[in-house]
Amino acid sequence: MIACLTIPGLELKAALRRTPTLALRPAALAPEPQGEPLLGPVTAAAEEAGVEPGMRLGEALATCPSLALVEPDAAAAERAWEEILHALEDAGFSVDPASLGVAYFETRGVERLYGGLEPALRRALGAIGTEWDARIGAAGRRFAALAAASVARPGQVVVVADEELPQFLAPLPLTLLPLERGRYEELEALGVRKLGQLAGLPGGAVAERLGPDGRRAWGLARGGTAARVRGRRPPATVFAALEFPEAVGNELTLRRTLAGLVDTALARPERRDRFVRKVALAARLESGGSWRRTLTLREPSGDADRIRVALSPRLAELPSPVVELRLELVELTEPTGHQLELLAAGAEDRARLKDGLRQVRASTGSGSVCTVVEVAPWSRVPESRALLVPKDE
Amino acid sequence: MVARSGESRAARAEGRVVARFNAPRAARVEANANGRPLEVNHRAVALVREEWRVVDRWWTEEPVVRDYFELVLESGENTVVFHDGASGGWYTQRGA
Repeated sequence: MIACLTIPGLELKAALRRTPTLALRPAALAPEPQGEPLLGPVTAAAEEAGVEPGMRLGEALATCPSLALVEPDAAAAERAWEEILHALEDAGFSVDPASLGVAYFETRGVERLYGGLEPALRRALGAIGTEWDARIGAAGRRFAALAAASVARPGQVVVVADEELPQFLAPLPLTLLPLERGRYEELEALGVRKLGQLAGLPGGAVAERLGPDGRRAWGLARGGTAARVRGRRPPATVFAALEFPEAVGNELTLRRTLAGLVDTALARPERRDRFVRKVALAARLESGGSWRRTLTLREPSGDADRIRVALSPRLAELPSPVVELRLELVELTEPTGHQLELLAAGAEDRARLKDGLRQVRASTGSGSVCTVVEVAPWSRVPESRALLVPKDE
Repeated sequence: MVARSGESRAARAEGRVVARFNAPRAARVEANANGRPLEVNHRAVALVREEWRVVDRWWTEEPVVRDYFELVLESGENTVVFHDGASGGWYTQRGA
């Protein structure tokens, strides 16, 4: 069985850990500073007052004037999610996080350990604790497990057997499907509002009308494909942080701090000569919130200058002065995974290369050695940019 | 660059051009519900670095609609795959 764990509104719950009293009052996660003024998740009290997630800020304040806005704390949410995933991993579940607040895991390996499917899922909920209102759905397929989790109440486990799957999915809303907003409206205009209605349509007609995305959604409405769940590799925990005596907004100071953090993190013995594949830069802001950006390097690297150059532009995105800057080496790779150039620039021995090519030509015949000729280097289609032309001389 | 023997035979038969450089090769890709690759030729994907869509030649009878993914495999290898909107197939491609 595949199990899906969901924690709706994890960002809000993580941010409310700082001000727990707000959890019982109408409160919502404030919009991102640079984004559209749309609310994030809301508390139960706010929902009772008519405020919904995704509502425009002005409309929400008009509906509920006492609504408290909670500053987003991306770093706290990431940390909380990581704690939850760690708790599951400590309990023996190999998790595959899909997004913040949604993770999948296979139960097959732990069912015997905990005495069956339901006890195993209860154990998973127990490992997370009651603080997060987690819920779990389990089914033979990923999408069905997600659908089961979406109807479960906090702390509840919903298991859907394969033979019950079509009847279970049929009355569920289309919003469970990974479609663009316009697609839902298009389907609703056609009178399709439930998964069962979409699943009942001929697949070819859906593909013709809605394209590949629609075809995929149709497949999911019928239960989806039986894809396996691959547990993640637990992330590295190498980090370096610096707390400032007072808030700093000066870019030069931040750049110097970043350089120091990169050197410190790379020098940590836990890194053990491994290369860095993914890094995260996080900051605690003067305003009380936090900021976090992750970056995957084009090639894994252990070079401090390269990492610093890649991260420096992110400092300009900081929305306000910071009281703490933190660098995390999120993913590390073995040195064997590092791809090197075939011939180092400038070290090419042209005479030997020419001689080698002559030998290849002699043994394989004319036309076996080619040169690359650019014909349309501006083309967006890679195979149209250049041709392979025989080089016989 | 050294061409494969089949290609050089084709070159002799058809003239000087052997093949398009960086031509796509069919790949076996297992994707998740959102169409993001999980496995490429039986090798697990460690992370999706970037994804983008190429829509071109829409004015011809052979339009190009491709969803590209730049991936890092568990082995540490970088690779680029795309899902072809016309054929529905998956391909690996260099130089994308």
